[in-house]
Amino acid sequence: MILPNLAPLGPALPFVYAAIILAVTWALARAVNRLIRSVMSESMPHVAVSSSRFTSVLIWVVGIVLAVQEIGVSTDILLLVVGLAGVAAVIACREALENAGAKYFSDVYIPFKIGDSVRVGEHEGKVIEINPMTTLLLTEKDQLVSIPNRMFMGQVVVNTTPQAWKEVAIPISVTSGINLAEFESEVRKSLSKLRSRLDPRFPPLLSGRARNPLTSDLTLTLFIRQPGDRDIVTTEANRRVSLVLEKLQRPKRNARNGRAEPAT
Amino acid sequence: MSEAWRVCINTQTPLLQYLDPGLARTVGRDDRPLDLGSYHEGTDYRVSPGGVTRMVLPLLRRLGEMGAIRDPHWVSLNAKGPKSVRYDGLVLHNVEMSRLRMAGYGTIKEAVWRVAHGTRTSKGPDELLWTADFSEFAYYNRATAELLRRLDEANDFDVYYVHDFQQLPVGSMLSRAKPKIFRWHIPFEKGMIPPDWRSTFEEYLRHYDMVIMSTDRYLRALRDFGYKGPAKRMFPYVDPKDYTFPSPKEAQAVCAKWGIHPKDQVILVVGRMDPMKGQDVAIQAFATLASSFPRAKLVLVGNGSFSSSRAGLALTKGEAWRAGLEQLIKDLGLEGRVVLTGHVTQPELDALYERCLFTVLPSHREGFGLVVVESWLHRRATVVSDRAGITELLHPGKNGLVFDPTKVSSLAQDLHVLLDDSGELRHRLAEEGYRTAGPCLLDAAAGEEVAMIKEVVGP
Repeated sequence: MILPNLAPLGPALPFVYAAIILAVTWALARAVNRLIRSVMSESMPHVAVSSSRFTSVLIWVVGIVLAVQEIGVSTDILLLVVGLAGVAAVIACREALENAGAKYFSDVYIPFKIGDSVRVGEHEGKVIEINPMTTLLLTEKDQLVSIPNRMFMGQVVVNTTPQAWKEVAIPISVTSGINLAEFESEVRKSLSKLRSRLDPRFPPLLSGRARNPLTSDLTLTLFIRQPGDRDIVTTEANRRVSLVLEKLQRPKRNARNGRAEPAT
Repeated sequence: MSEAWRVCINTQTPLLQYLDPGLARTVGRDDRPLDLGSYHEGTDYRVSPGGVTRMVLPLLRRLGEMGAIRDPHWVSLNAKGPKSVRYDGLVLHNVEMSRLRMAGYGTIKEAVWRVAHGTRTSKGPDELLWTADFSEFAYYNRATAELLRRLDEANDFDVYYVHDFQQLPVGSMLSRAKPKIFRWHIPFEKGMIPPDWRSTFEEYLRHYDMVIMSTDRYLRALRDFGYKGPAKRMFPYVDPKDYTFPSPKEAQAVCAKWGIHPKDQVILVVGRMDPMKGQDVAIQAFATLASSFPRAKLVLVGNGSFSSSRAGLALTKGEAWRAGLEQLIKDLGLEGRVVLTGHVTQPELDALYERCLFTVLPSHREGFGLVVVESWLHRRATVVSDRAGITELLHPGKNGLVFDPTKVSSLAQDLHVLLDDSGELRHRLAEEGYRTAGPCLLDAAAGEEVAMIKEVVGP
């Protein structure tokens, strides 16, 4: 591509560059906005809107700082203000961020799921919802108890569901380029090698948690025979799932011409 | 009803089978469903035979006429069809699967079917639920669930109506908040599900908002099995408008192509070529009295199911069974006395019903037995195996005769009674049967279906 010669613009050139930066900022903010809304299509609408607004503001701040710098004005004060605002925002959202982080880790490391009966501190009930901030328990008295997710990282959690030890739940994210039916079929074939350590009455169960145009969040549930096999089965199942994902992500080679085939 | 529901049907057997191989590769303009308006039924495609399609198509038509549903979609397995087609106000979608996967899927489907029909000692979970074949069975169900999900995103359905045991896992794989109805079409007897399969079945069943069984006995067995969710009994049904009633002369003219003479006493057996359908029992019973009734002829109608057809899963069961029956006919010296018609068209089937003296349903196990209802519609007496679900509506000697399919002599005795009859008994059984058919006809069933869907979807 041949770039236009902007030299004749002389002193106006920085303003032209600033205008270009702002135009790119505008386009980027729109594209990222669209992406966030589509990725968060199954989240609460106000959370999706807030996230996209926050990201927009961030992109615009960076764009404006760069544009202002381009026209030769010092941005030190502006950067300081933005930095302080950022720190203030993080402090203000500390608890929310802690809960969201705790949800990520408890998903992976704390063995309970929707439908299980759990005891956390003085609260006991059936898990009916796990959202990014809290886990909702329905008590025997029909009361709704909302437990901040960070409590699950700092408290002893007792899963009182009968034979809860049998279940190994593995969260999986599958990108949209992978055919889910093929993924399920391959995972089942691969996991059949572990069947000596799994309860033969319960084949692997793959259930959907959330989905957006980019990924499908699934939970693979396995039922082990012996409590002592939990760790080894989890590790091996994770490895096998990763291998299947890797295999299916790799573009298929056309046997005849060696060209890559698009994922189905 | 305030607004018409948007319904999505899911069956394994497709409504249409495509006879023209070129049709499978044809796509509609702009990837829209291919309109079958310019193609010809009978040469380019045909409606699949079998109870499920025979029941569901008239239901959708009727609910459409009643204004209860609009723009229904229908998803089924069909590797040899176009991606989607528009037919008779419906949009039909085909789930594709490679031949190799189809074979694995077919193996599991057949195993479950055999267990339900009590013909084989159940395999343990190790031999079934952990096999590569089960992975293909899961593949098919997941592919179906994914297609149903995508269609819902585009069409915002009100309810999914999933038919038959092959589709059972679909409910658990379909993570949509829409109500899901599951209709079980094959037998469900007490103790049928092997204890080791129980948890898997329970897991699949619990994802449905309503489970429909064909008889009260099956519903009780489902409860005994431990299922506590919503469930109902609804008899299968047919639409009388789908049948024609040719005059005796017209019927004879059609039947002449199979060598049926005007003076022949025709006994009719309608059912696909499958050991479960017990055609061998009918032939053996017929053999015991063939010499006493020299004008009697046994006519067996039907070929393979979708599963055993070349357009379907291409399982060879149907052909093998037919060959076995031909050998049996030869061994018993019944050539010329037993006719195997293979697949017949609906007008031909109607002619055969009208031409016969009575019908026989000799199945070793039968989910329901809509051919009995068809016999009644044609005002023909019927002799029914006591292993068929429809016996729940039968009062032996009043609206039909009932026999034990494990005893050839039991059927032979009933055949003798009806062949020897002056016509009075056959007439009485047929007329009473005609009156019994009421709950198995679309008029009654459509209202029941609407009430059930309303219960599931909400007012």
